[in-house]
Amino acid sequence: MKRIRDAVNGVDLRRFRFWLQLFFFVLLVYGGYMAVNLGQYLPTFACGFNDEGRGGICYLLPLQHQLAMSWGTLFGWAGLMVLQGFLFFALWFFVLNKGWCGYVCPLGTIQDWITSLRTRLGIRYSRYTEGQFRRLSLIKYLLLALMILIPLGIGGALLPHDMGTPFCDICPGRMIIPMFTGDFSQLTIDFSSKTTMVMTALGMLVTGLFLAGAFFKKRFFCFFCPMSALHYLLSKPALLKLKKDGAKCTRCGDCYRVCDMEIREIADEVKEPRIMQDDCILCLKCVAHCPEQGALKATFAGIPIFESTEQGFIKRMTKGHKDEQHHE
Amino acid sequence: MNNTTSDATAPAYNRSRQAREAETLLDRIQDDFPDNPQAMRYFYDLFRNVYCQGEPVKHEGTLVGTTCIHAPEELIYAFGATPVRLCNGSYHYDQIGADFMPAKSCPLVKATLGSLHAKAAVPNTAALELIVNPTTCDQKTKASAMIEAMGYKVHDLELPPAKESEEARLYWQRSVRRLALRLRELTGRKLTRSNLKTAMARTARAQTAFRTLHQLRKSAPALFLGKDAFLVTNAYFFDDLDRWTAAVEQLNTELQLRQMEGFQAAQKRAPRILFTGSPPIFPNLKLPLLIEEAGGVVVADETCSANRMLYDMTAVDEWLLNDMVDGLADRYLKPCTCPIFTRNDDRQRRLLQLAADFNVDGVVYQAFAGCQVYEMEYRSIADVLAAQGIPMLYVETDYSPDDMGQLSTRIEAFLESIKTRKRNKQ
Repeated sequence: MKRIRDAVNGVDLRRFRFWLQLFFFVLLVYGGYMAVNLGQYLPTFACGFNDEGRGGICYLLPLQHQLAMSWGTLFGWAGLMVLQGFLFFALWFFVLNKGWCGYVCPLGTIQDWITSLRTRLGIRYSRYTEGQFRRLSLIKYLLLALMILIPLGIGGALLPHDMGTPFCDICPGRMIIPMFTGDFSQLTIDFSSKTTMVMTALGMLVTGLFLAGAFFKKRFFCFFCPMSALHYLLSKPALLKLKKDGAKCTRCGDCYRVCDMEIREIADEVKEPRIMQDDCILCLKCVAHCPEQGALKATFAGIPIFESTEQGFIKRMTKGHKDEQHHE
Repeated sequence: MNNTTSDATAPAYNRSRQAREAETLLDRIQDDFPDNPQAMRYFYDLFRNVYCQGEPVKHEGTLVGTTCIHAPEELIYAFGATPVRLCNGSYHYDQIGADFMPAKSCPLVKATLGSLHAKAAVPNTAALELIVNPTTCDQKTKASAMIEAMGYKVHDLELPPAKESEEARLYWQRSVRRLALRLRELTGRKLTRSNLKTAMARTARAQTAFRTLHQLRKSAPALFLGKDAFLVTNAYFFDDLDRWTAAVEQLNTELQLRQMEGFQAAQKRAPRILFTGSPPIFPNLKLPLLIEEAGGVVVADETCSANRMLYDMTAVDEWLLNDMVDGLADRYLKPCTCPIFTRNDDRQRRLLQLAADFNVDGVVYQAFAGCQVYEMEYRSIADVLAAQGIPMLYVETDYSPDDMGQLSTRIEAFLESIKTRKRNKQ
């Protein structure tokens, strides 16, 4: 048992994540060809616009559709249907918590691939300043609120119907993910009405920003993701958890400096054991880069599954010292 | 006093005062204790050769002196230079350095100044081509101009007075980059990804060896004595990095064997002591040595001549120059528990964790008379330890051997009280 535990804690997380992310990417982006259908309540960007290849559908698409029903319907029996959908979404989410972001989300994976391309080119990353970070971090809640309020407004006939699914209109996933199955049809501006024109043009802009941003900033888009905001609101009862034993922490900041999401609390907070913050993508890089035995750990239903260890840290860093994959 | 012309007429080095100071100490370290590990011979011989015989310390490339643990050694090695830590523990140099500093100042700073001022100082290194002086405490900060006045080239490595804020972190990262530029100018070499990676790998291997040794000291009854541990880490100040690491790895292997054989380096009931405060630096190992001569055993420490210097390791996410250099900067600032910073929560937490991990019975807090920051933190540390029921002995001392008798009485009483406590608990 101890040997299995040591092997897990000594895992080359970078490689493990790469393969697991690739697996989920194939499942969600090409699963449709293999008759995979995980339903329409997935708590991750399995884009529904990827008609043929999708192995499931991102919950934000049906959610916006449902909320745009006329108020009479929505606040009647149909409301139960919406609640039922939300329940399925929550059940999916509880399994992996924000691990959906760090391991499953196809958009997240694409960003990680772009990052890996950048490092291979020997180009450094950019970081936000602390002030920028704090302000940008709020945008996702704003987007979440709009994503709910606009469809409600449509349902109440306060807003034009062609705003349809407003977040999907501007989501880079809608344009990028179908491209992986050869569908470039989303990469257009819809001139059918003024509203659609504005929304799709905005979508093009966001997609451009996504690609450029992800090149310079690790997980650029995740800071603004309304799905991430929705996740956080539900994260307390989730099964997969990130925990910190503050007494064992030396506050060396190793976890903070490897964090793609620049979460300072991971290093600085020493009192609260539930350390997962709203921007966290549960990639567990912090656990892999913590040299203190048991200071950080991931637990599933209370059982530790991956823990920071001195040996694991040294093993991973030694590999980094020797790795010649980044050429001079 | 400050002219060193007397050096010309001085007796042969091995009969000089500082050689005798070192020799007496080494004799005690070796002869007062039975069953020293075989692998310690490397360190005993090293100190005898360097401190008693005055043999020159060999090094490669440009020699760069450092006056604090904050100077990132990996950077210095990456430029093909060799760092040597100048913090000095000799009473002889303390007296010479007294001319530079006010009467009530830190003996460590005085001794460092004294050794830089003296001709043919020990350890006998080649000429220092640069001294990197991190602006840590007031005394070290002010020493900078004095060292420069002696004719050395000095680089002030600017360290922020707080380490919590993001501003401090970024300021320090810039400071470290500036040091890299200075080293490039000095050595005429370029910092590349591969030479920095190689340097970081060497230091990481040394740190790994240190951590293994550190973990072995958790074993109860004690497997290894603190007097030897301090000698090992003190050797890191000037010894060749790879040779030092190999010697420690050999020591670890021997200790692991001894552990399996059930070897005991001290009595089963010997009080286990955690050492904190001003750093014991050879030949000023009087306090740890007194503790162990009185039947205690120093199982762990929180000082900048041992644990704080070698324990914390650098993490890198992207092995590009910028991330590696920033990673190094973080490692030399963020986990540091030096009392010069505004707050000392991290030091308190580190002490409590060490006390728990190493099954410690009591803490000995050494404050050098004149080392104000340690003196000022005494109260907060005492309160935190008292709240946890961990007894602490606070010792204000300096490099002079005069208080030895008084100290040994106090230490014996402290150890005795711990033993009584333990008996009463049972």
